[in-house]
Amino acid sequence: MKKVLVIDDNPTIVELIKYAVNLQGAYNVVVAYDGVQGLERVYAEQPDCVIIDVKMPRMDGYQLVRCLRGDARTMNIPLIILSAMTREQDQMTGLLSGVDDYLTKPFKPSALNAAIERVLRLTPADRQRRMDHLVQTQAERE
Amino acid sequence: MQQFRKLYILLVDSDPGACYRIQQALGEGFVLRNATSLAEAKQCLADSLPDMLISEVRIGQESGLELCRFVRLTPSLRFLPVMLLTSHATLQDKVAGFDAGADDYVVKPYDARHLVARIRLLSRMKRFEQNPD
Repeated sequence: MKKVLVIDDNPTIVELIKYAVNLQGAYNVVVAYDGVQGLERVYAEQPDCVIIDVKMPRMDGYQLVRCLRGDARTMNIPLIILSAMTREQDQMTGLLSGVDDYLTKPFKPSALNAAIERVLRLTPADRQRRMDHLVQTQAERE
Repeated sequence: MQQFRKLYILLVDSDPGACYRIQQALGEGFVLRNATSLAEAKQCLADSLPDMLISEVRIGQESGLELCRFVRLTPSLRFLPVMLLTSHATLQDKVAGFDAGADDYVVKPYDARHLVARIRLLSRMKRFEQNPD
């Protein structure tokens, strides 16, 4: 059974996400309630996918994503941000940080499950191609 | 292939071998200036503002985290993108790096293509944060 780590400082939201993910019944869900605890859980649990809130104590979601993407041991873990921050700027910061998908709250369980299935299929080569594409489209050109 | 503006990087690392390897990894899209101590790094920052600061966590007997804090507390440098590129890889190291004000934390050894992309994206992200339009 695939393991999904949910990192969110709001226990009610964590329970909602657990409920949504368990609708499919295909995942073992583990949780953390701030960014640093989430990082600890990544190392301890070695999840197949991580769902990350942005606004959290100790380490925010963007920092957590960069932290995981910057280390060869964790750089290819599928990462989804699920956040109440809905501005285009927020989503762009998430994508530039290295997240595989950015969903906004309130969320539909079906959309979350579809996103999990989608990011679980990504290969390291897919991820590198996406990053190269972002560089080509977003970085500063002459 | 798109042509990108050359980014001016201040690289702070006391190990000449590491500096050489980073220079080789980055290739020709970057202009690198190297500093091997905090004092030298601060002098470089006073001379000219780079597009990005990349620092080791341990610079000889000195701390790259102290340099991060200096950057964040200096008004003219506050928005400078800072990446820690380091062999210090524990969870505590990473938390301390972000607490000190680093924007990104990359653990050695690194893949050259991945590093180049991260530098370009971090530069874009910081500019986007300052000027979303």
